[in-house]
Amino acid sequence: GDSWGMLACLCTVLWQLPAVPALNRTGDPGPGPSIQKTYDLTRYLEHQLRSLAGTYLNYLGPPFNEPDFNPPRLGVETLPKATVNLEVWRSLNDKLRLTQNYEAYSHLLCYLRGLNRQAATAELRRSLAHFCTSLQGLLGSIAGVMAALGYPLPQPLPGTEPTWAPGPAHSDFLQKMDDFWLLKELQTWLWRSAKDFNRLKKKMQPPATAVTLHLEARGF
Amino acid sequence: FGTILSEPLPLTPESLKVSINSTKQCLHLQWTVHNLDYHQELKMVFQIQISRLKASNVIWMGNYSTTVKRNQVLHWSWESELPLECAIHFVRMRTMVDDARIPAPRFWSNWSSWEKADAQNSLGDHPLYVFPKDKLVEEGSDVTICYISRNHQDNISCYLEDELTYGKQLDQNVWAFELKNVSFHRKTGTNFYCKGQGVPEGVVLFVSKVLEEPKDFSCETRDLKTVTCTWDPGSDTGLIQLPSYTLFDSFSGKKTLCKHRNRCDWQVTQDSQEVYNFTLVAENYFRKRSVSILFNLIHGVHPLAPYNLFPKSVSATNVTMTWKVSSIGHNSALLCQLQLLGEGKQHNISVRVNGEYLLSELKPDTEYMARVRCAYADHFWKWSELISQNFTTAEAAPSEAPDVWRDVTFVSGHPTVTLFWKPLSKVHTNGKILFYNVVVENLDEPSSLEVLSVPAPANSTKVTLNQSSYQIYVTAHNSVGPSPASAVAISGHPENENVEEGRVNGTEDGFHMSWKPQSRNATGYVVEWCDDPQNLPCVLRWKNLGPTNTGTVISSDAFRPGVRYNFRIYEISAKRMAHLLEKKAGYLKELAPSYNPEVATINLTSHSFTLSWKDYSTESQTGFIQGYYVYLKSKTGEKCHREFEKTILPDNSVGCKYTIDNPDQKTFVVKDLQPESVYEFFVTPYTSAGEGPLDDFTKVTTPDDYSHILIHIILPMIFCVLVVMITCYLKSQWLKDKCYPDIPDPYKSSVLSLIKFKENPRITIMNVNDCVPDAIEVVNKPEGSKIQFTGTRKSPTETKGTKPVYLDLLPTENYSGPGPCICFENFTYNQAASDLGYCGHFPVTPQAPHCQLGPLTSPENLLKTLEQNYMNSLGEIPAGEANLNYVSQLASPTSGDKESPPANPPEPVLCSEYKMQMAIPLGLASPAPSENSSLSSTALLNPSEHCH
Repeated sequence: GDSWGMLACLCTVLWQLPAVPALNRTGDPGPGPSIQKTYDLTRYLEHQLRSLAGTYLNYLGPPFNEPDFNPPRLGVETLPKATVNLEVWRSLNDKLRLTQNYEAYSHLLCYLRGLNRQAATAELRRSLAHFCTSLQGLLGSIAGVMAALGYPLPQPLPGTEPTWAPGPAHSDFLQKMDDFWLLKELQTWLWRSAKDFNRLKKKMQPPATAVTLHLEARGF
Repeated sequence: FGTILSEPLPLTPESLKVSINSTKQCLHLQWTVHNLDYHQELKMVFQIQISRLKASNVIWMGNYSTTVKRNQVLHWSWESELPLECAIHFVRMRTMVDDARIPAPRFWSNWSSWEKADAQNSLGDHPLYVFPKDKLVEEGSDVTICYISRNHQDNISCYLEDELTYGKQLDQNVWAFELKNVSFHRKTGTNFYCKGQGVPEGVVLFVSKVLEEPKDFSCETRDLKTVTCTWDPGSDTGLIQLPSYTLFDSFSGKKTLCKHRNRCDWQVTQDSQEVYNFTLVAENYFRKRSVSILFNLIHGVHPLAPYNLFPKSVSATNVTMTWKVSSIGHNSALLCQLQLLGEGKQHNISVRVNGEYLLSELKPDTEYMARVRCAYADHFWKWSELISQNFTTAEAAPSEAPDVWRDVTFVSGHPTVTLFWKPLSKVHTNGKILFYNVVVENLDEPSSLEVLSVPAPANSTKVTLNQSSYQIYVTAHNSVGPSPASAVAISGHPENENVEEGRVNGTEDGFHMSWKPQSRNATGYVVEWCDDPQNLPCVLRWKNLGPTNTGTVISSDAFRPGVRYNFRIYEISAKRMAHLLEKKAGYLKELAPSYNPEVATINLTSHSFTLSWKDYSTESQTGFIQGYYVYLKSKTGEKCHREFEKTILPDNSVGCKYTIDNPDQKTFVVKDLQPESVYEFFVTPYTSAGEGPLDDFTKVTTPDDYSHILIHIILPMIFCVLVVMITCYLKSQWLKDKCYPDIPDPYKSSVLSLIKFKENPRITIMNVNDCVPDAIEVVNKPEGSKIQFTGTRKSPTETKGTKPVYLDLLPTENYSGPGPCICFENFTYNQAASDLGYCGHFPVTPQAPHCQLGPLTSPENLLKTLEQNYMNSLGEIPAGEANLNYVSQLASPTSGDKESPPANPPEPVLCSEYKMQMAIPLGLASPAPSENSSLSSTALLNPSEHCH
């Protein structure tokens, strides 16, 4: 039964191959490989962030390093929010999807650099700097995919360059909370991006199986 | 101050304003005092009361004294241990003039009205606040934290790090927590947070460790321009904000902020200040620590390390070292110390800019390391760091002649000399040895010189000479020149080898050997040996000794236990000629032999054989062979032969052992052996350390010997035969009686005399018709019984009508009729018993006469046979066996049919039912000797003749 199913699937894929625009062009591999690379980089960053977040949250101390610490998200509106309604997410087109990713990581990268400047230990600074470099790579990769698909890059609005300068009312505790949310949001974004690029990847290939996506915020 | 006041003034504090500094948790008060005269200054005391939550709850009261001018705005602050946001505070004050110019009595003014300080008004609409926002505290101190909850229903719990904390309620919405003795957790602070249903709120307490006082504070200058002070700051306070360190000189009043936490640089100005009173101040938010030293610039000079240390004009024994130093101050001098490593000498040189020093008495071609360091000459305080430089002195000619020895062999009468020399020690080479020169001088022909050049690192060469006397000189050459020469004289004739060989014992140190000098003119002695004599060619070693030596210890790393070393001791004459003095052989340590000789068996006879191991060399063994053990085992027994002793072998078997204590005896005759026997032997040598390994025994079988057979087998057999023959001869009659009794002749029986049938003497055997069933006849009673024995066979017809004869033992030879049958007349049988049996014929073939052959020779056997047949009758009796038949008188009708063929015999089972019915008299069974007794002892019963 399974083997017949796989054979049928393979036949379908082969039948659909000429219909894939990316594959019709001989010699030009199209955006497929770069999407795959972006997807792989996203998964790698997910893995890298797991280690970094563990170290950094221990550095912040309890309750931020407690596994069940999951406070309501308030007061961090400046951070780009990754969680989105499933229907909304489905309704996004590729361009919008990629643009949101690009903008989110641009902001997150900037905040992350601020985090790096504040870190007190050299080891943590090294880890953060390494992660920032990787994230910069992801940003470039997304830009490459967008360029390959013919989408323009979003232009940063003048004067809206995000900064990580806490106001006078910002307490150290809230600062730690912001750091916590930054890492958490980053993790959610990476998870969402993996889904985005997976969907995009499959879309560039024949639609063998339906993509189901269930978005939810995952704890550290 | 111009006017002296004479009466108290009604001065009251006015315009009192209270503000809150949340960062510092301070209540800031400001007020003025009116009613003061212009230019008037008064010293006044202000009494201040602070209440919490409500005005009547005074929590603090204190005085503040100051000098007050007219309309001056006065300021005063009060730090609250409870965060000011957590409770409403009330403040009021009153004043009193405290000026000496105002005479007493003095009165307090009236209290000002209560001023309220409420920080909660300025809070936003968050459901939960925790105060103070962030706080810097020193480790071990106490902190009060409070939270304000806007939601009365919310169940809020607070934690210090991950530990639940309990507080006390101040107000309906306010709870306060007193944290005692807070401890350091991490650089990012200790977290205190409260959480209800909403977003958790908290504060971060930055806990600083107690700032330590700097230790080991000291200062020095490297160049009289900059003073560098160093100290040990102690452990880190654990905060991101580091404590500040400031260096202050009280003499000049200058200070500098240090850039490092353990070091500070102070620039010496051009003025001629020599002495400084330095104070180092370490300061953080909580503490200020200081430490001071008095520093004299001249006394604290630590010069920089010298540089450019180089050797100049290097020769074989001298070198000039040069170096430079950094100048200090105004043309000051430095004291520099030059060391030559390994020499142990130090040279002190005063240097201003350039140092130079000649090192002499150095060794040629030697690598040296020179080191130099400097100190301030005017006042020594500390050496500079060392710098070092390696150099190698130049080469010089080798300083010593090589140690040379020779080995002379004669080939076709011509001496061939192999010259050996030892490499010169590093001390004496003075450079790299390039080659050795060998000069051969024929003493008989002074003009002839032969020169050989042997490149290094060779250590031997071979020279073939004539039969003349020679002097050979050997020199070692390096790049500079030759060494002194070593001389060896060769006579050109074979040496006298006939010296006795002795033995020398090895010890842990080596071989201790001594010798007796032969001449008084000896210039020295040489002991030579081979380091590894088992392997050829020999690695020749020698030791040169002075003329006064008569003994030495020869040691070498190459010496091994169990190896025989042969030493030759030579005496060196004044002409450098060597004469063999002694030979010695020895072992560093003797070992047991490692292998056994291969033994051949020769001269094998039936009584002896000879063992031979002529090929076994006693010289090349692991010890001095002292003799041999011959082990012998024989299959015949455990008794040992003569000269052998019984011993238990290593494999726990028992054997015989013979000891040969002469190592040169390599044959052994084993005697007194048994012919045609197996012997096992085994020969092993022994040294002082033990005997050789246990090998397999060799089997030897002695050959056959016929005389032995003659003596031990044939003679006893002959003897036995003779004894048997004599015995048989002497006892033949008895034997005959016993074994082959004569069958009695019925005609010669005495019974016949009782029968009165004189008219028919031929009728001797009873007829069947005469058999009267159950008739009892007593044979040996003369009154009626008739027993007739017949020796001849009668036909049935002939025996018809004859008198009945009841028992007949008839030997027949050629009987071919019916088989023999023994019939017993049952003389005492009763009627009832006789009904069961009958007498019948039983055919017995002549080919099976054996059935009753033996047993019938005696009555006992007869009875036994009868019994046996009876027992057999219980089963089926084979025809050949059932030839003992009981003949009952009741069976007469059948038995009476003497014509009946043997093919119709009576039932054998019934026939064999024998009951012992009578005892047969011995005399009856005993046959009378007759001519038939020589026949086979077959006793046959002829039924046709006897069962009538």
